[in-house]
Amino acid sequence: MSSIRRQLIAGLLFAVAACGVGAAAWTYVTARDEANALFDYHLEQIAWSMRDHSFARDLIPPPSAGEREADYIIQIWDRNGLEVYLSRPHARVPGFTAPGFSSQHTGDADWRVFSARLRGRVIQVAQPMQVREQLAAGLALRAAAPIGLLVPILAALVWIVVGRGLRPLEAIAQAVRKRDSTSLAPLSVGAVPVELAPLVGELNNLLARLGGALEGQRRFLADAAHELRSPLTAVRLQAQLAERAADAAARGRAIVELKGGVERATRTVEQLLTLARQAPEARTLVREPVDLVVLAQAVVTEFAGQAAQKNIDLGLARAQPAVVNGDSAALRVLLANLVDNAVRYTPCGGAVDVEVGTEEGDTRAAFVAVCDNGPGIPAGERERVFDRFYRVPGSGEVGSGLGLALVREIAGRHAAAVSLEDRPGGGLVVRLRFAPPAARRAAP
Amino acid sequence: MRILLVEDDPMIGASVREGLRQDGFTVDWIRDGVAAEAALAAEPYDMLLLDLGLPRLSGNALLVRLRARANDVPVIILTARDAVDDRIAGLDAGADDYVVKPFDLDELAARIRAVARRRAGRAAPRLRHGDVEIDPASRVVTLRGEPVSLSPREFDVLSALLERPGVVFSRAQLEARLYGWGEEVESNTVEVYVHGLRRKLGAGLVRNVRGVGYMVPKA
Repeated sequence: MSSIRRQLIAGLLFAVAACGVGAAAWTYVTARDEANALFDYHLEQIAWSMRDHSFARDLIPPPSAGEREADYIIQIWDRNGLEVYLSRPHARVPGFTAPGFSSQHTGDADWRVFSARLRGRVIQVAQPMQVREQLAAGLALRAAAPIGLLVPILAALVWIVVGRGLRPLEAIAQAVRKRDSTSLAPLSVGAVPVELAPLVGELNNLLARLGGALEGQRRFLADAAHELRSPLTAVRLQAQLAERAADAAARGRAIVELKGGVERATRTVEQLLTLARQAPEARTLVREPVDLVVLAQAVVTEFAGQAAQKNIDLGLARAQPAVVNGDSAALRVLLANLVDNAVRYTPCGGAVDVEVGTEEGDTRAAFVAVCDNGPGIPAGERERVFDRFYRVPGSGEVGSGLGLALVREIAGRHAAAVSLEDRPGGGLVVRLRFAPPAARRAAP
Repeated sequence: MRILLVEDDPMIGASVREGLRQDGFTVDWIRDGVAAEAALAAEPYDMLLLDLGLPRLSGNALLVRLRARANDVPVIILTARDAVDDRIAGLDAGADDYVVKPFDLDELAARIRAVARRRAGRAAPRLRHGDVEIDPASRVVTLRGEPVSLSPREFDVLSALLERPGVVFSRAQLEARLYGWGEEVESNTVEVYVHGLRRKLGAGLVRNVRGVGYMVPKA
């Protein structure tokens, strides 16, 4: 696992070490250049200062043992090429060189040599290069040493500072650990460093979305449990009446009632399941071209029997070609619910028309409408009928209260709008209007 | 016993009415709170079975209004709301009992009898008067320990009178207890039932208060 702390320490220490080495190298180079200039000047000055001397070789006693010897070596030759002075006997000294500065190698050492011709004499001063290099190296070392000493201190400091810097992360981890499906309270943003604020913000968004989804599920379950009680109560009571029935005829009647109750309970459960399956978190939306005319024909066929029982004239009153992109199974559930409602609430002998087409004008929006001549829905109730489990008071029908909630859920996922309108002459028009093709393409 | 059932679910309402009728209760069924209030003002009911989720006027609101008007009809709430808070709210609003759906018809009938008993200030499930004893649950009547066969209407008249000994019931009051809506009230039927009771249980049990009505004297 990668560690921010280790990475930071390694990177910082590498950078510091590189700086130390760089500083040492730079100091070495500049110190050597300066030493070269200075010592060259010395060599030249020494040579010039020898110009007026006369040399009587015998007068110079050889150096005694232990006496400190100079690094410099001075050699002087007369105009005949005879060596008249050698400042120090040395195993191997540089030989006669061209005038001016030069570098010489004698086998055991490198030399810097200055040679000058003055009044017939050749004066040559030599200095071992080693002296200059040692000087520069010493300077470089002194410059790098403090940096070298700083490295472990820096490492310790970085360790501590990074540790402190990462402490809020640990705090956040702890806060997240405390969250579970029952407590999804947002994390506190107050004490969080700027760098972590986006992470905490996103975590809070996620918690809020999760909380919303969980709350929705919980409410749905509670509503479902509550709403299942009514059909189950009816079934239980009807079963008891069937049990009590004194004769075959009474039992027969009671069993017909009981079957009605079971059918209703089944329908409620089926619609609950469909609604749960249609919930956005439960499935991904299929997108395929759906021919609304074919769909409407299928649904009208499906409900023809039910309509005939109530002597209701159910039919496809208008069928212009209209194709939308969507989930055909879901759209069929939607349309079936609308037609079912219309047939259910329209009195015997009424009429239910299904219309499919595209609107006039530029938008060419596809629509489906289900028109009935039933009691309609009062204007004040039109928003509430889309709520789960809401039933129009006094409607007298035993629905699950889920049909229109399901319709709105499916329509919403197809970017379609559902509207309830009065039908001229009495009745209700439920209109499903799909977003026009252009807008649909622009929508995400 | 005449009961007003207020329930908006058609299947549940029909079944409860049918079941309670089989148990010998007289049941009128209404589907919304406002109509229930009107019915309670118009007719004397011995018991109100109240659903909470009613159209137009909720069961709780109806109950609060009844009690505010000092209407003390016994009330049993029938509801799918089973949360403890809902039960507490219902009972504190003035309900006598609280039955959660789904419930059993026999249990509901037993609770109706229990509430009626408590309201009459009795603990014993059976009504006793001298040598006569009646059991409202099984609708069995005994005279000196021997079972006596009564018609359902005769039983209803007898139990109404025995529930409140010493109280004089007018003919109209007894008729109101015997007949629900839509039931044909035949003339002189109360006299016929009283006559039957006297013949089967002895002339001294039911007294005629001339020009007023009938009563069972206090023991």
